[in-house]
Amino acid sequence: MAISDAAPLVETRNLVKKFGAFTALNGVSLKVYPGEVHALLGDNGAGKSTLIKVLSGVFPATDGEILVEGKAVKFASPRNATEAGIGTVYQDLALNPLSSVTRNFFLGRELTHFSSPFALMKMKEMHRIAAEEMAKIGITITDPEQAVGTMSGGQRQTLAIARAIYFGAKVLILDEPTSALGQKQQMEVLKTIRRVQQLGDIAIILITHNEIHARLIADRFTFLSLGEVIGSGTSKDLEGDDIKRLMAGGAEIGDLAKELAV
Amino acid sequence: MNTSETTRQEADRHASKSWFATIFARPEIGPIGVMLLLFGMLGYFSIPAGEFSWNPFAGEGFNALGIRNNLKVISQLAIIALGAGLLIIAGEFDLSIGSMIGFAGACMAMILRWGFSVIIPYLSFEGGIHLEFFTLLHIPDVSPLGALLITLCFTLFFGWLQGYIVVKSGLPSFIVTLGGLFFLRGLTEVSLRSFNHRPDQAKGATTVTEIPDIKNIVDVPGHGEMEREAAKALPETDLLNILKDVPADTVASLSERLAHTYQRVADAKTAIMTERGVKPLERALENAIESGNEQMVTTIQDKIATFKIDPVVAKSVTDIDIARAYIDTLHSARPIANFFGGDIMEPVFDWLYFPIDWNTNNFGNQFAQGLYSCVMICLIMALLCYVVLSRTQAGNWIYSTGGNLMAAKANGVPTNKVKIALFVFSAFCATIFAACQVFEVNTADAARGNLKELEAIAAAVIGGIVMTGGFGTVLGIIVGAFIFGLAKEAFFYIPGIDGSFYRVFLGLVIVASALLNENIRKRIMGAI
Ligand SMILES: Nc1ncnc2c1ncn2[C@@H]1O[C@H](COP(=O)(O)OP(=O)(O)O)[C@@H](O)[C@H]1O
Ligand SMILES: [Mg+2]
Repeated sequence: MAISDAAPLVETRNLVKKFGAFTALNGVSLKVYPGEVHALLGDNGAGKSTLIKVLSGVFPATDGEILVEGKAVKFASPRNATEAGIGTVYQDLALNPLSSVTRNFFLGRELTHFSSPFALMKMKEMHRIAAEEMAKIGITITDPEQAVGTMSGGQRQTLAIARAIYFGAKVLILDEPTSALGQKQQMEVLKTIRRVQQLGDIAIILITHNEIHARLIADRFTFLSLGEVIGSGTSKDLEGDDIKRLMAGGAEIGDLAKELAV
Repeated sequence: MNTSETTRQEADRHASKSWFATIFARPEIGPIGVMLLLFGMLGYFSIPAGEFSWNPFAGEGFNALGIRNNLKVISQLAIIALGAGLLIIAGEFDLSIGSMIGFAGACMAMILRWGFSVIIPYLSFEGGIHLEFFTLLHIPDVSPLGALLITLCFTLFFGWLQGYIVVKSGLPSFIVTLGGLFFLRGLTEVSLRSFNHRPDQAKGATTVTEIPDIKNIVDVPGHGEMEREAAKALPETDLLNILKDVPADTVASLSERLAHTYQRVADAKTAIMTERGVKPLERALENAIESGNEQMVTTIQDKIATFKIDPVVAKSVTDIDIARAYIDTLHSARPIANFFGGDIMEPVFDWLYFPIDWNTNNFGNQFAQGLYSCVMICLIMALLCYVVLSRTQAGNWIYSTGGNLMAAKANGVPTNKVKIALFVFSAFCATIFAACQVFEVNTADAARGNLKELEAIAAAVIGGIVMTGGFGTVLGIIVGAFIFGLAKEAFFYIPGIDGSFYRVFLGLVIVASALLNENIRKRIMGAI
């Protein structure tokens, strides 16, 4: 995938997040471009989740700036972030398994005939849009009344992603979307991510532990360790070994191999 | 190797279902089956011993009076089950419903009986320290609507408070509303006892009696507003005066109707007397058959066949009778009281009596006057609840609040407001239940509504509401209430069985339903 030379869609500058005396993020800067998959890699505890929670308005940053399309923004709540175009798909996907695809797709943003919680929903239109939007990124659903609990993990990911995009996400943050899935489902999700990327104007931040997935799909990489960026670059810049080494937090895999051999 | 790189998709594995399979996959289908079974049982067992009929309406369970009484029990239960059920769908419980019924009823009755006062208690030091009361405001005559609205202020506030405590503290609603259960019941008893030291009430009683029959206050021409029974007891000259202004065709139809009634009563008397006369002959016939005396048998059979008594002559219709019948047709001058405690569908039940001759009791009189008004109230509420739960944004919020609270929150659903609103709604349903009772029987008792919260929850569970929330329908709740009410009646009619077996039966049904609901839930969650 070509690296665009457009302006970054989202940029963080020296982002700092402290939990009391504990510094979870210590000056993180990164740039995310439209139409690109930006892999955020790092060991457990590196600060990946904290970074995306700051980006999606769950925590306020202690210091530093967030810029969306060049403008500095401040998020007081997840709602602010959503309105600014940052759509986060959490690990638990924020779905209600007991209700239907359509009801989940429009959860909290139902289409109604007039503006009141007691207004009738435009159910037909909602069914149609949900089906269309999911088809756009590769899943045809036969029955929009199907309960989400009966769908596969991959389909649920697609639903959550389609929902975020439909409701105006310009930046899609995916927190370990493949971690709880089987092999085939993982590939489904990667294909979905690729289709979203092909829409062209959406930037994707992908958090993953899986180096193979990252290499398959990502255009740009940022490695976090102990709350700091220890390396970044495009897929061309980084050779295979680099990725492995940086994912392990910068320790030489070679050294480890020696140690283990003893 | 033979790989098939076809265009098979995940969606293709989701076989499309036939309409038959679709209907049988509905969660209400099991409960509806049980309901039909009970319907048949009640119809069949309530037919008097020795008779048989395929028509379930032939027995006492579903004769006009049976329908009237059964539908009252069912719809009153359904009213509170709607409140309880919607709250369970949103993931919370309300155990205070029963006490709320007692409280609301007592509150309404006290206001209707003694008026509404705002009283400030203070400590007095004259003649030893004791509590004195200063009456800030007293309204002696409060209309039925006023009494209902004042009561709603208290009950809805209490519902709100319980909801607020639950969402703010994160405590299980079970424990918060258990507190409400004791608190409200105690408060009701205490208030009734402290009011009942008045000279016109039995001291220390926890009841309110002698409330006028408000729903039956009518505007009698020339006499103003008065209770229907009092109007019918007016002197004959007054009654004849009232009749003077009644249009001729009304008088004619009233008279025709009365003539029919009197004839019907006379016929019934004739039938009863004939039966009384025939009975000893039949006994004699049995004896004769036993002893083998054939001549005797034929003689008695002859006698039975030709047995006749003089038919009872029907009473003649007088103008006084017509005037009284006319007073019965006057509309209530207190529509709110009548809305809650009165009857509905009287014209239909009149028509069933005359000309259809179905709504007729053994003595030839009209059996049931109509249906209790709570049936209509229940239907209105069920319809509104159905629309809100299944068709509106609020409904989607209710389902998601109970189905996955975190997901609902993450998507901007105001889950706390949803829960508080449903606690308020549950209190509203309990108040409506109380209003139906108070305006129907014109009394209140602190013990009213005892255990109703558990009956409401039971009806909801039987109707397919999942206890952990997020799943269930309004149709299910109504069916659950039907099952509960029908079971109570059906077991009463089964010959040679203790009526309390209905509780044994319901106990089993509740557990079976809960197991079934859990099975459906797990299937949807993909666990089986
Ligand atoms: N709410 C919090 N309060 C205090 N410490 C936190 C909180 N959230 C995360 N941390 C700490 O911040 C560090 C980074 O965590 P996290 O961002 O979840 O890492 P990752 O997602 O990369 O595994 C961890 O050491 C974690 O213990
Ligand atoms: Mg994490």
